Amino acid sequence: MSAVTQAAPARRGLSRESVQFAWRVAAALAVCIALSLLSDAFLTTNNLLNVLRQTALLFLMASGLTLVILTAGLDLSVGANIGLSACLAAIIIKSTGSPWLGVATGVGCGAAVGLLNGVLVTALRVPAFVATYGMMWLILGATYFYMGGETVHGFPPSFRQFGSGYFLGVPIPIYMMLLFLMLGTLFAQRTVWGQQIYAIGANPVAARLSGIPVERRLVLVYVVSGAMAGLASLILLARVNSAEADIGEHFTLPAIAAVVIGGTSLFGGSGTIVGTLIGALILTLVVNGMNLLQINASWQPLVTGVIILFAVWFDIRARRSGN
Amino acid sequence: MKYLSVASVLAVVAIASPAFADGETIAVFTKNQTNPYFQNVRVGTEAAAKALNVKVLQYIPTKPDSIPEQMSQVEDVIIKKPNAIVFVPVDYKALVPGVEKMNAANIPVVNFIDRIAGGQTVSFIGADDYSIAITSARHLLKAMNGTGNVVIIEGVKGSLTNVDRMRGFNDALKEFSNVKLLASQPGNYQRLQALQVMENLMQSFPKIDGVLAANDAMAVGAIEALEGANRKAHIIGINGTKEAVDLIKAGKMLASGDYNGFVQGCLAMTVAVRHLRGQPVPKEVLLKPVVVDKTNYQPYETPVEQRACPKLEDLTN
Repeated sequence: MSAVTQAAPARRGLSRESVQFAWRVAAALAVCIALSLLSDAFLTTNNLLNVLRQTALLFLMASGLTLVILTAGLDLSVGANIGLSACLAAIIIKSTGSPWLGVATGVGCGAAVGLLNGVLVTALRVPAFVATYGMMWLILGATYFYMGGETVHGFPPSFRQFGSGYFLGVPIPIYMMLLFLMLGTLFAQRTVWGQQIYAIGANPVAARLSGIPVERRLVLVYVVSGAMAGLASLILLARVNSAEADIGEHFTLPAIAAVVIGGTSLFGGSGTIVGTLIGALILTLVVNGMNLLQINASWQPLVTGVIILFAVWFDIRARRSGN
Repeated sequence: MKYLSVASVLAVVAIASPAFADGETIAVFTKNQTNPYFQNVRVGTEAAAKALNVKVLQYIPTKPDSIPEQMSQVEDVIIKKPNAIVFVPVDYKALVPGVEKMNAANIPVVNFIDRIAGGQTVSFIGADDYSIAITSARHLLKAMNGTGNVVIIEGVKGSLTNVDRMRGFNDALKEFSNVKLLASQPGNYQRLQALQVMENLMQSFPKIDGVLAANDAMAVGAIEALEGANRKAHIIGINGTKEAVDLIKAGKMLASGDYNGFVQGCLAMTVAVRHLRGQPVPKEVLLKPVVVDKTNYQPYETPVEQRACPKLEDLTN
């Protein structure tokens, strides 16, 4: 990549990415239109609010992860982090009775795990895949050991508002989704640090040579990814009202899928937070649709695969036509 | 003097001679550390072991349900040569070679919980997924007075437990012709997934009277979804976990099919030790399904660590 291209990525990036973004929104809309034609229950207020609330949880899990993937990194410990944070927060809430202490614990634990990941990747120079994979095992082991196969359940209503509460008729997780969408987009697109993160992903050598403190930014993105996982774990806890050691295990791949379907390249340097939201929305719509249309459980993995590949195909078409 | 020394030698020999006196070592294999059910199983084996004066070695894969890890633990245990092994395979087909290795090493094997598909075993102690499911479902359908709408929340599509539980649920539904099955959707034994599936199903169906959930975690997810929407329904789960018992006590859950891990652990250990001590043992012990509901939940409130093992004779039919 020439220095000239590096100097003015903002203008070129935006217009190409706008086209790709439009394709992605079109894919999500296509699924919505199909579902509203096939099922009477889809376009109801309740169902749409449910879908958005379900999307919000997945989005929050994947939002910090987007920043990591923008740097061409990966965080495989997201699910395990969610489990540990949820369990620790659960225990703190139960023993102190304070929801806010629980919140602090959850986010703090998530961020701490993120910090460890960041240190492994930068100071010890362990490749992100291996570092976060190893971290996943460490955290899982610690959580299993500590929980001893027990479930902690039953939390105070004030805490449960996080996940199950409404404000002005809209579920609270949706507000959180919008808040972090705004914060994330502002950070990524409008701050120097955000632009530096894109640069690190696009060309780490050039980034370093142009004076960007690469290690510090990398640690930052892993901490943010961890903190968001911690936050998401609180909403999960508030929704399901219980915590057990393996509660987070099934979220790692869907979170990564949401980021990738949303158009963020695994090679780093291109992608958006709002894209992740669209990716999370598409994944949630698929399950919602299969439940509403009562697609037989045997077919569901197949249907999920087909729709995901279709959504990604849209994206590849957009990239080719954009170039 | 001579008589005294001979007598004392004979006395020592007499005390030391029984080939399998107390103090045998029994190795227990379970599937994972995460499922509270297996924790209850292990507590059961320890309780029986304490009562019978034997030592227990617990083998648990660190990666839940890991086939290679259990296989390597099998190889470890053969070298250690315990007097007997109490074994649940993480996969009932893949671990057949493991059991065959134990047979080749002449270590008696008592199989429990999931029936191994091959190899020689002294006995099988288990609860039957099908009968637990059909009994629990009948309980729910009777509570609905045989009419109304029902949804099923399935477990993991490919798993053996799910196949049998679905058969049980569906066969129970056939017995109540006035009950309509609205939908059967997978929750994959996951709490959040069951919650979201239930939310989605409630959009299509304004009137749901009963929910058959293939395990307690999913039942709890469904309860949260219903409460969130201010709707009510009868719900049953399977496993009889502490969480389920608390919800049954609070009136939020109708019942849970008891898959009594503690008792299975007790019995399997008892059978293993009796076999070693030359006593006759049954070839198979199938526990009768028990549905835990508001009328009989009290014994389940005692933590497993404080429960006593039931007698084998009381449970063999």
